[in-house]
Amino acid sequence: MLKSRNYSIKTKLKLMNMLISGVTLLLACIGFGVYELITFRATLVRTLSIQAQIVGANNASALLFNDAKSAENTLSALKAAPMILSGGIYTRAGDPLAMYWRGAGGHTLPLPQMPAGQTEEHWFVGKELILIRSIVFQGKLIGTVYIRSDLQEMYDRLMRYAGIVAVVLSLSLMAAFLLSTMLQRAATQAILQLAETARIVSRKKDYSVRVPTTGTADEVGLLIESFNEMLTQIQKRDAALQTSQEQLEQRVAQRTAELDSTNKELEAFTYSVAHDLRAPLRHIQGFANMLMESLGPQLESDAKKYLHHIAEGTQQMGRLIDDLLSLARVGRQEPSLQMTGLNSLVQEVLRDLKNETEGRDIDWQVGDLPFVECDPGLMKQVFYNLLSNAAKYSRPRNPAVIAIGQVSVKGQLVNFVRDNGVGFNMKYAHKLFGVFQRLHRKEDFEGTGVGLATVQRIIHKHGGRIWAEAEIDKGATFFFSLASRNN
Amino acid sequence: VAAVNSIHHPTWGQLARRAQFAAAVFPAMLAVASNLSAQVPQTTEYQVKAAYLANFPRFVEWPNKVAKSESFNICVLGQDPFGVALDAAVAGETINRIPVAARRISRPQDALDCRVLFISSSEDNQWKEILAALKTSNVLTVSDMREFARRGGIVQFILDGNRVRFAVNLAATGPPGLKLSSELLKLAVPIGKTP
Repeated sequence: MLKSRNYSIKTKLKLMNMLISGVTLLLACIGFGVYELITFRATLVRTLSIQAQIVGANNASALLFNDAKSAENTLSALKAAPMILSGGIYTRAGDPLAMYWRGAGGHTLPLPQMPAGQTEEHWFVGKELILIRSIVFQGKLIGTVYIRSDLQEMYDRLMRYAGIVAVVLSLSLMAAFLLSTMLQRAATQAILQLAETARIVSRKKDYSVRVPTTGTADEVGLLIESFNEMLTQIQKRDAALQTSQEQLEQRVAQRTAELDSTNKELEAFTYSVAHDLRAPLRHIQGFANMLMESLGPQLESDAKKYLHHIAEGTQQMGRLIDDLLSLARVGRQEPSLQMTGLNSLVQEVLRDLKNETEGRDIDWQVGDLPFVECDPGLMKQVFYNLLSNAAKYSRPRNPAVIAIGQVSVKGQLVNFVRDNGVGFNMKYAHKLFGVFQRLHRKEDFEGTGVGLATVQRIIHKHGGRIWAEAEIDKGATFFFSLASRNN
Repeated sequence: VAAVNSIHHPTWGQLARRAQFAAAVFPAMLAVASNLSAQVPQTTEYQVKAAYLANFPRFVEWPNKVAKSESFNICVLGQDPFGVALDAAVAGETINRIPVAARRISRPQDALDCRVLFISSSEDNQWKEILAALKTSNVLTVSDMREFARRGGIVQFILDGNRVRFAVNLAATGPPGLKLSSELLKLAVPIGKTP
């Protein structure tokens, strides 16, 4: 029964129809059968009663004149009724006067007692019907008739009836099956189509399909209409969503293009400005040098000091211009990637830094770094900036400890450069990679404020990410990842 | 029987019927058994004949000209062989709602208001006179005299072993006389076989 819950509505309807017609027919047949049985029994009793009356009337004189032979003659007329097994005439006192047996003779049967106040009584005993009737002659009770009838005919009839019922029932069920198979299509086809369409919609996400309408105003028709309406609305909303998404993408692309061109213009501007600044600076540097060389010995110490300041200023400005040009170049050129061992880059940088760190006690702790696909020149610039920064900001430490290595952060391998220098306030971490942004006083730590901006740009060009963690006076750590295929 | 019936649930039709039948049959069986063992008072020949006399009129139709009387008289002519048996047989009986009475008469002339007349064997020697006297009357004559039916009587009692039977002379009922029912006639012994 549990399984039947998963049957198709088609099967369910068919089963329902069959069950209903079967049960109805069965009940009707049982009803008719019971009626038939009752009627037949009543008819049987009536027939037997009439026979008993005839036998009784014909035996009145025989009873009154005690003529057993005559009574037997009369009784033998019961032969005509084949279902009567035996009969008897009893005197008023209950003594048998004459008996009749169908077939071989039997023993005299005792006469059942007539219930008080009745002239007739019958009993169904097993497969027999027994009926007794008082013989009343001219208003006087003179004896009793006893008749025993076979019920075989009734049972035969019942069996025949059961057979007919079985045939009728099976034929009707077959007819019901055929009819319900034909008729259920009218009821279920629409529902099945609806279910099929719903399946298509949910599987293919195709909202353009529609259930064919039945044109009827019943619940199924209403359901289909509502379903189609729902599909239409979903389709509309889908289209609107699609349109707005396309518009959004278009706008983003437009903005990106605008930004790109602005960026390019800015870079071009930076490059040209920096480039153009170089010539006048070289003039200033050259003439200041010439002034120093030609007039050096004659100049007063104050004038010498001013000339020295000019030289320093121009030198600083030269570095600034170099850095700006370098930054601009990184922005303009695409990195040329090749497999590079980061450890060898670090070693190169450490060699370059030897002069700068002359006389300082620095503990370089270089760990195992990976081979990655990157632009070696640009990547060397990254390490140069990060390591020289680390050396610079750990200058107050003796010994300074600078560690370079690889670490796993949230399941991703990243490279890091850690120092035990002065660190910085994390509140300003977002300014760290901006151009000309400096978190320390120029008097304490020299620098142009362009280095980390360049580093970030290179990392971004490599599809990576860079960030820093620090605490004031406890050092800083710079982490950077490269494009994920490298790690 | 009623008590036994009431015990059974009415819906158990078949069972109840069977029990009812058994309850009805058992007393009868007991009665049969007791009849066999107990001494049943023997019915005498004249008790039977008296009963027959009382029953004959039930199968006889009298012509309309017979006047209605206050009592339906069954008479005995001559020496009465019945004694109280006849009075017992007619006591409380009615025929067509007329009470039956037993009379004893000594002369045939007195038989005119009798419907049934039993002629005693004591009158054997004067049967001719008696029958002649009753010729035009509508009296059912009955006797156990030898050759009574053959001689012109209507009903003659005959002893067949120890059974009382009777013969009927239909010619003696004479037109427009009595009509005897076929029910009666079918029990009658043919006259040729009468003693």
